[in-house]
Amino acid sequence: MSRRVLLCMVVVGGVFTASCRSGESLTNAGIDRAPTPVTASTTPGQTTVPPTTVPRKLDTLPPCDVAALDAAAATAPVEITFWHGLSNELGRELERLTGVYNGSQTKVKVTLQFQGGYEETIDKYLQSNTDSRPDMVQMPEYMVQQMIDTKSIVPTQACAESANYDTSAFLPQALGAYATEGVQWSMPFNMSVPVLYYLKPRFAAAGLDPEVSPRSLEELLATSKQLVSSGASAYSLALDSDFDGGGGWYIEQWLSKSGEFYADNENGRAAPATNVLYDGAGGVKLLTALQSLVTDGGAVYVGDNASGQDTFLKLADATKPAAMTIGTSAALGPVLAIVRGGIIPGVLESEVGVGPMPGPNDGKGALVGGASLYIVDGKGGAKAAASWDYMAFLESAPSQSQWAAATGYIPVRNDALTLDPIKSLYVTDPRFKVAYDQLTSSLPGPTSQGPVIGPHKAVRRATALAVAEVLSGADVQTALTKAAQAANDLISNYNSQNK
Amino acid sequence: MAIDQVYGARKVGRYLLLTFMAFIVIFPIYMMVVGALKPGNKVLVNPLLPTDFTTGTLTEAWRAGHLGRALWNSAYVAVLITLAQVITSILAAYAFAFLRFPGKTFVFVAFLATLLVPLEATLTVNRRTMQSLSWINSYKALTIPFLATAFGIFMIRQVFLTIPKEMHEAASMDGLGRLGFLWQVAVPLSRPTIGALTLFSFLTSWNQYLWPTLVTTNEKFNTVQTGLKTLKLAAIDKPNLVIAGTVIVALPIFVVLIAFQRQLIRGLTAGAVKG
Amino acid sequence: MKRKRRDSGLAALMLVPSGVILLLFVVYPLIKAVWLGQQRCGVTKCTNNGFDQYLDAFRSNEFQDALIVTAKYALITVPIGLVLGVALAVLADKYMRGVGIFRTIFSSTVATSVAVASVMWFFLLNPQVGVLSEWIGGIAKTPGLLQDPRSALWAVSASSIWANLGFTFIVVTAGLQGVPKDLYESAYVDGAGGFSRFTNVTLPMISPTLLFATVVLTTRAFQSFGEVDLLTEGGPLGKTTTLTYLAYGSGLPTSNDDGLRATVSVLLFAVLLALALVQFRGLEKRVHYGN
Repeated sequence: MSRRVLLCMVVVGGVFTASCRSGESLTNAGIDRAPTPVTASTTPGQTTVPPTTVPRKLDTLPPCDVAALDAAAATAPVEITFWHGLSNELGRELERLTGVYNGSQTKVKVTLQFQGGYEETIDKYLQSNTDSRPDMVQMPEYMVQQMIDTKSIVPTQACAESANYDTSAFLPQALGAYATEGVQWSMPFNMSVPVLYYLKPRFAAAGLDPEVSPRSLEELLATSKQLVSSGASAYSLALDSDFDGGGGWYIEQWLSKSGEFYADNENGRAAPATNVLYDGAGGVKLLTALQSLVTDGGAVYVGDNASGQDTFLKLADATKPAAMTIGTSAALGPVLAIVRGGIIPGVLESEVGVGPMPGPNDGKGALVGGASLYIVDGKGGAKAAASWDYMAFLESAPSQSQWAAATGYIPVRNDALTLDPIKSLYVTDPRFKVAYDQLTSSLPGPTSQGPVIGPHKAVRRATALAVAEVLSGADVQTALTKAAQAANDLISNYNSQNK
Repeated sequence: MAIDQVYGARKVGRYLLLTFMAFIVIFPIYMMVVGALKPGNKVLVNPLLPTDFTTGTLTEAWRAGHLGRALWNSAYVAVLITLAQVITSILAAYAFAFLRFPGKTFVFVAFLATLLVPLEATLTVNRRTMQSLSWINSYKALTIPFLATAFGIFMIRQVFLTIPKEMHEAASMDGLGRLGFLWQVAVPLSRPTIGALTLFSFLTSWNQYLWPTLVTTNEKFNTVQTGLKTLKLAAIDKPNLVIAGTVIVALPIFVVLIAFQRQLIRGLTAGAVKG
Repeated sequence: MKRKRRDSGLAALMLVPSGVILLLFVVYPLIKAVWLGQQRCGVTKCTNNGFDQYLDAFRSNEFQDALIVTAKYALITVPIGLVLGVALAVLADKYMRGVGIFRTIFSSTVATSVAVASVMWFFLLNPQVGVLSEWIGGIAKTPGLLQDPRSALWAVSASSIWANLGFTFIVVTAGLQGVPKDLYESAYVDGAGGFSRFTNVTLPMISPTLLFATVVLTTRAFQSFGEVDLLTEGGPLGKTTTLTYLAYGSGLPTSNDDGLRATVSVLLFAVLLALALVQFRGLEKRVHYGN
């Protein structure tokens, strides 16, 4: 054998043999962990009470003076840029609302910049410095802790206090989702929860009442079986493992419905989270139920739903369709618009049914999803004040009523419900109210407040891998243990890098 | 007697095979064009020979994707990079081919070694540089890092080396001067290679994908490649719109290709000839 | 002597424009990346971790997986792309009426950028919008070819093979035209059949071209980003996360950590260097450069 062949084998062999593989995750590269990781608290429910800080936290953060707007706008309108990640009908509706705002006053001119989606917005925001960041940014609900840690934002509470802004009409869940350490960091804007979408004619064909959707997981399994065994539908339920859907977000929802925490220290709200808890009995029971939907209930796993619409398209599949899927309530407006457009042969707008997301506690209760609005620090007082002015417009009852009616998002304030168009829409088309009812029926107590974890997105992705494995037939406990280990590493790495 | 002529049944067979292969290669393009001309509500229906056509989707895609702006950006950036690469390559190639200076071999090898560095190894640091210069969202960020290329320098040096040294000596002696020699003798003599480099540079910068996504956050600076990505993400509910956008974006390059087929072949095969 | 000094001034002047650009945007970032690659970055600051971070990263599951995915991807796209390109080029390398049209068609995919080609194939392979999934799978597959972990890499490969076909076709056609016609004629006279002429004359004569195409296609495979970003975003289950996507894609451990990005991209550089070495060492001996 020539030396050359030998060299080749050494390189190729060295690269690909398992002996190279450490079995560790890339996220742990370079990190030298102490032999016994210090875990502050691993017992659910046990909390570390944060030291009471004097002066209050808000006073240590960047200030906001809303009067700066009038001073600056005296000469010319203050121009602000707003990064968002809303696509399709949602983005178009945001453009319309912003057009209304820009046309209604002369102090502020908002330029929208679509970044391609939440993921792209996050990546670009974190990669940017103050200079290249926008004046205002929309971030999904799982970004709270990371946004705080960038030390790049003006808490909206500072602006609200400066403006004597009245928040009494807001849903407490809406504000609470974005408040930690006693500070309101951002304002909720587009608030959604997962709901069940189904096709009424297929329910009818299976001998089920098309107006009644399954509430508990047991009912979901029974309904699924009937849909398939009656021949009404090739598949019952379309399931995905998107981290922002079936793979991550829904898991948090299900745990909350059953009154359980997703992470320790009360979902990271009493003190920074150190461990996830979904590998416990509750998580195993939940994922076993999901797996049995696929193995016994005729549910179909459509993959990680990269396009965000594979689950819905499965309902429209020409040859082997499903009859139900779980999706964000924000998809309701866009889905109905698509069906109205006649793209999907044989499905009428009135045939799309919406019910609460089936789960523990008869499907009642939900965690706030969607996104909130942040004001970026370092752009000058006038820009911060202008951002607040635009934000207050988006938060206003008329805007929220219009926004919710066009999209399927839940209004963030109750007084929006007294205004048209949402007021009459909730009566004429109760499908839009399902999400609202589900959110407002949440269990009292801290398990109804979503997790706050520094690397929340990465943790969700680790979880989503486990869900994908489980839906493809893997052992539930093994998959969850592995995912939880990965998630705990992510959390400890994050905490050590962002001390 | 030419043996690369084929006759009779073999000829028919070859035509059939060629036609079949041509069908396979062109099929995706055909489906895109058909898709772009379909009305919005027929997106999920795929007849091979559609019956109703509309140009409405194309115009809507043009507007929704800001494709006019994107095409302009791409053209501007690609032309700027191409011009600069050709000029900087000619200058450096001249120095390496005709001038004598200390450390020439070392400098040449150093230049050439940059060819070994893949773009991907440098992008993170370059993005951070752009950030500290506040060049994010600017034509500067899209062009300046690419104004020179060792590939072009090497390519043009190779052809300059084929020009007899005596011509250079003679030219520098008489009134022409050395710069006169470069622009009036060497460059015209190397026109085919320079043409090939031009087209190669143009296509490479037109097709850039990763870098523009890293240094732009404003749709105003979208190139056609990033614009297509934005359109795909923004209009995921309207596949026919994205398909129409793809067709629009692909068109200009098809025209360039057909117009400059010969230069392209030279540009793409430059490395295949032993230098 | 005087001459040489005058030359030096002019040479410096002419080398400065490209020299500065290459120094600032290739040499400096490479050195800086090597340093950055031993750091981990949180949301506000980076901390040094020591150069063992490279070893950790290289041995990590994600990197090893991406290495295997990339190698598989190269092993699928390069041979298939090469065989198809050579077949088409040989098929169209005859004097026949209308062969020019076929040549234009075969080279046409060179005009589609990676974004255009990928968006096209995204829709072609989409189980609901496209037709290909339906035809290939017999019925509409669930999940679609791009969503199914078993087929995703093949689906991405199909798009890439198609997009690179024009390039391979053009390069091989040019190579074929450089083969002296008298070689064929003497082989013909010696009684060699079509296939024998192909293996004994054509292949050896175009071997430099094939080496070039192999190197370019392999490098492209190892640097593929756009097709993965637009077709699968690295999924499903990381089955299409190539090395470049691992360094620059979203939703990955590297996404919000410039240090780790640098680690992975420097490792990618090292892998490409090793690959180039192996390719040239291994293949050049077999290449026939004529006299």
